Amino acid sequence: MIKVGVVGPFSGQFAQGGENFKQAIEVYQAIHGKTVKGDTVEFIYKDLPQVNPAQSRALSQELIVKDKVSFLAGYFLTPNALAVAPLIDEANIPAVIFNAATSIITEKSPRYVRTSFTLWQVTAPLADYVAKQGVKSVVTAVTDYGPGIDAEAAFKTVYEKAGGKIVDTIRMPLSTNDFAPFMQRIKDSKAEALYAFLPVPITTTFVKAFQDNGLKETGIKFYGPGDLTQEPDLPSMGDTALGLLTAFHYSQANPSALNQQFLAKHRELFGSSDKVTFFSVGAYDGVHTIYKMIEAAGGKDGLKAVNAIKGLSWESPRGPVTIDPVTRHVTQNVYLRVTEKKDGKLQNTQFETLTNQPDWGYPGVMK
Amino acid sequence: METILGIAVDGVAYGTILFIISVGLSVMLGLMRVVNLAHGAFAMMAGYLASYGMQSLGLPYGLALLAAILLTVIVTLPLERLLYRRIYGGNNELQQVLLTIGLTFVIIAIANYSFGPTVKRIPLPDLLSGSVSLGSKTIPLHRAFVIGLGAATILGLWLLLERTNFGVRLRAAVDNPAMAEALGIRTERLYTAVFALSTGLAALGGVLGAELLPLDPYYAIRYIVLFLAVVAVGGAGSILGSVVAALALGILDTAGRYLVPNFGEFFFSAALILILFRWPNGFFHRRAA
Amino acid sequence: MRGDLMRLPAFLENHRARWGSVLGEPAVLPLMIGAGILGYFLFPEDLGLLTRILTMALYILSLDLVLGYAGIATLGHAALFGAGAYAAGIMAVHIVQDPLLLLLIGTLAGGLVALITGALILHAHGLTLLMLTIAVAQLLQSLANKWRELTGGSDGLSGIDPSPVLGLFRFDLYGRTSYLFALVVLIVAYAIARRIVRSPFGLACRGVKEDPLRIAALGGNPRRYLVVMYTVGGAFAGLAGALTTVTTGIVGLDSLGFTLSAEAVVMLVLGGTGRLYGAIIGTVAFMTIHHILAATDPFHWMLFIGLFLIGIVLFAPGGITAVSEKLAQRLARRGT
Repeated sequence: MIKVGVVGPFSGQFAQGGENFKQAIEVYQAIHGKTVKGDTVEFIYKDLPQVNPAQSRALSQELIVKDKVSFLAGYFLTPNALAVAPLIDEANIPAVIFNAATSIITEKSPRYVRTSFTLWQVTAPLADYVAKQGVKSVVTAVTDYGPGIDAEAAFKTVYEKAGGKIVDTIRMPLSTNDFAPFMQRIKDSKAEALYAFLPVPITTTFVKAFQDNGLKETGIKFYGPGDLTQEPDLPSMGDTALGLLTAFHYSQANPSALNQQFLAKHRELFGSSDKVTFFSVGAYDGVHTIYKMIEAAGGKDGLKAVNAIKGLSWESPRGPVTIDPVTRHVTQNVYLRVTEKKDGKLQNTQFETLTNQPDWGYPGVMK
Repeated sequence: METILGIAVDGVAYGTILFIISVGLSVMLGLMRVVNLAHGAFAMMAGYLASYGMQSLGLPYGLALLAAILLTVIVTLPLERLLYRRIYGGNNELQQVLLTIGLTFVIIAIANYSFGPTVKRIPLPDLLSGSVSLGSKTIPLHRAFVIGLGAATILGLWLLLERTNFGVRLRAAVDNPAMAEALGIRTERLYTAVFALSTGLAALGGVLGAELLPLDPYYAIRYIVLFLAVVAVGGAGSILGSVVAALALGILDTAGRYLVPNFGEFFFSAALILILFRWPNGFFHRRAA
Repeated sequence: MRGDLMRLPAFLENHRARWGSVLGEPAVLPLMIGAGILGYFLFPEDLGLLTRILTMALYILSLDLVLGYAGIATLGHAALFGAGAYAAGIMAVHIVQDPLLLLLIGTLAGGLVALITGALILHAHGLTLLMLTIAVAQLLQSLANKWRELTGGSDGLSGIDPSPVLGLFRFDLYGRTSYLFALVVLIVAYAIARRIVRSPFGLACRGVKEDPLRIAALGGNPRRYLVVMYTVGGAFAGLAGALTTVTTGIVGLDSLGFTLSAEAVVMLVLGGTGRLYGAIIGTVAFMTIHHILAATDPFHWMLFIGLFLIGIVLFAPGGITAVSEKLAQRLARRGT
């Protein structure tokens, strides 16, 4: 038997992410079986509801020492993922990151593999697209923490290189709940378009504030990464979400056959696929890399296992993906989507594919 | 000028919500000497009930609002009998903290279990969902409605305290509990009534404010510090103090975010420290209930 | 202090009888050492968790000095813990890696922050004081978030790699060194804390807590006692923060967070305030329950912990230690 320890938020405000992890793992095992080369793969879950790097390290240590896991996985938030770097190096165990999306993580240890996305990865092609649409000036509004600052830097770098002008960069405190003041500032900036990034759950409030404060009527265009329009949040956003243009690596509405199979299995096992998000595919593909690592190294020698999947390509519910040999981060398509209503239900419809995007935030990737 | 107008309107709307929710907390602290950390949880409970009423039962906004307030009061009243009565009084703050935090945890867990961790909305009726223009500033109608209802609440509370028998007894009990008891004021019944009033106001604020303070299970913990700040700045038990404090903090927070967004949180904490440093007993220290 | 203390003994003597049961506490130190060593051999695979309990116990102990012995109501104690944790972390990344030196740095940082903020805010009482402590912690937290170059911002401060203890014992994967190191630090700190609370100064602080007017009438300056005790508590909290930094190798913004402050109060009240061993028992109880519940049902542990807290207030006011003391007294009476 080979054990995999999953550290994620199974309670608390990010519990949606933890549930997505767990269900996607079960879906993967239901489709691909529970054994690899005769070894049963078992998942052990540890709850880490919020930012608490010390606890993240203690839980991971417990998984390694007590539960004797061969792989660590999960890690929803960046600080919690960063905390285990010294640990996985000492124990020679790979850590497959299902979500945490700040670019620096995979630099910190050669045993990190990431199957989610980074804000640089989805924002850089979006900024390029916005510039090519002839938008001359943009105001950015991001939440003032690691991923938000990544998002701002990515947009600013690419957009300015393409000749656009950033008229204001707003960083909003993480605890913000009333966005009206920021909306007024965005309006006053007289920019043609807005690029915004915020974490859940305040995305809904932000999108609503955008409409309520009359910005939609002024014709200012709204762009952002797909975090803004996560599928489970769409019903509570209601019609305010209509027409938002986002760039992301996964949408429930991806028409591919594999995605339909993935969603169908979710419905079969859990009764509904409405809550499936990019956290789900992050975990699903993460389990895929773990299976491949077990095939190559049998749950021993973490570095050998990681080396074995460098350059690995496969077809995911999100589309074709590859593990970049240098960054150990997943190279993937980024889709431009627009939020629209179909059969009375809001969805993110993909209308353009920007293929094979790497993690643009990793040193040396962007030239 | 536009900037000032923008800050004023948004700040006043925000402050109004803070007032409606916090004033009950203040009166409870002034009268029963209890720091009710579950106050935010009660506001959240009402928000969830209203959201459920509208989204799943199809109730109209007004009806959902009333039903949520009533239900919240009905559900929490037994808690007053069973739990809160044991912790009234000024000498057992630690017991109060433990009990009300425990209660908050339970309510969060129930909310999470019943409604899930995602943000729940209370859809606004068409009547309230547009916006009005005031020069260059666009004000959502809902905010105007909130400000109006806040003014009505202040007026209602003033009438209740100044013009009714209940108000006279309440003020007497806040000013001098021992004397009130001696005069035959039934403090026990008074406490129950104040608890219900306090919870009802929290419920009203929770439903009305769902646009500004979004409803998710962590609402109960996330905003309680803000509500306590209003009470501390206003002075426990003072309604006028709560009004001034809520508006001041609402405007300060809004101004900080507008003028120095990169240092918004820093600005607010620093301002709060300075205010409390200057007025350690709040703006209006236990002068009138 | 100074001459004031000369006049205090008579006043204190009257109170000593009442405090007798508290001061004549059971042989806590040998018990702690025994339990600590037993834990090392009984749970060799859980040393990570046990180390977290030890560091947390030290932090709750520091809160007991402030809240239990001086009656300072605070919901911002994490400010002092975080100050120590960040000071040690920043020093470890840039300048020194010796664990003992890092602990000293953390202790000084916690004490310094407590001295400065304490002198500023301790004139306030009740809810105002509570809010001031919260605001100070929030101020420090947003400062740490802003100063990314130094603190790592919201990503946390990583890259902390303490050198072996005394140049001999490496911090190993199984957490053996971490555990024993934390155990020794906790026990030494406990012994020092006990000396402090039993000293004339400690007794005077109790006096301030119970009857500030009386102390003032005797010529003492209540506020000065409070500031000094707050500083002492801050030094202990800073030590706990630095110990966490050394044993985990990372510092996050959560170490200055409201949750950490609030949980500390819960743990302390759970164990019983004003008894140093109450802090230890409260921490062990809370963290063990948290761990068991989170492991068996990570999804809704809050419900159980919430009900448990309510149950404590209803059935065991005064915390675990008060109840067990009462039980012990009753048993003793029956025995004689």
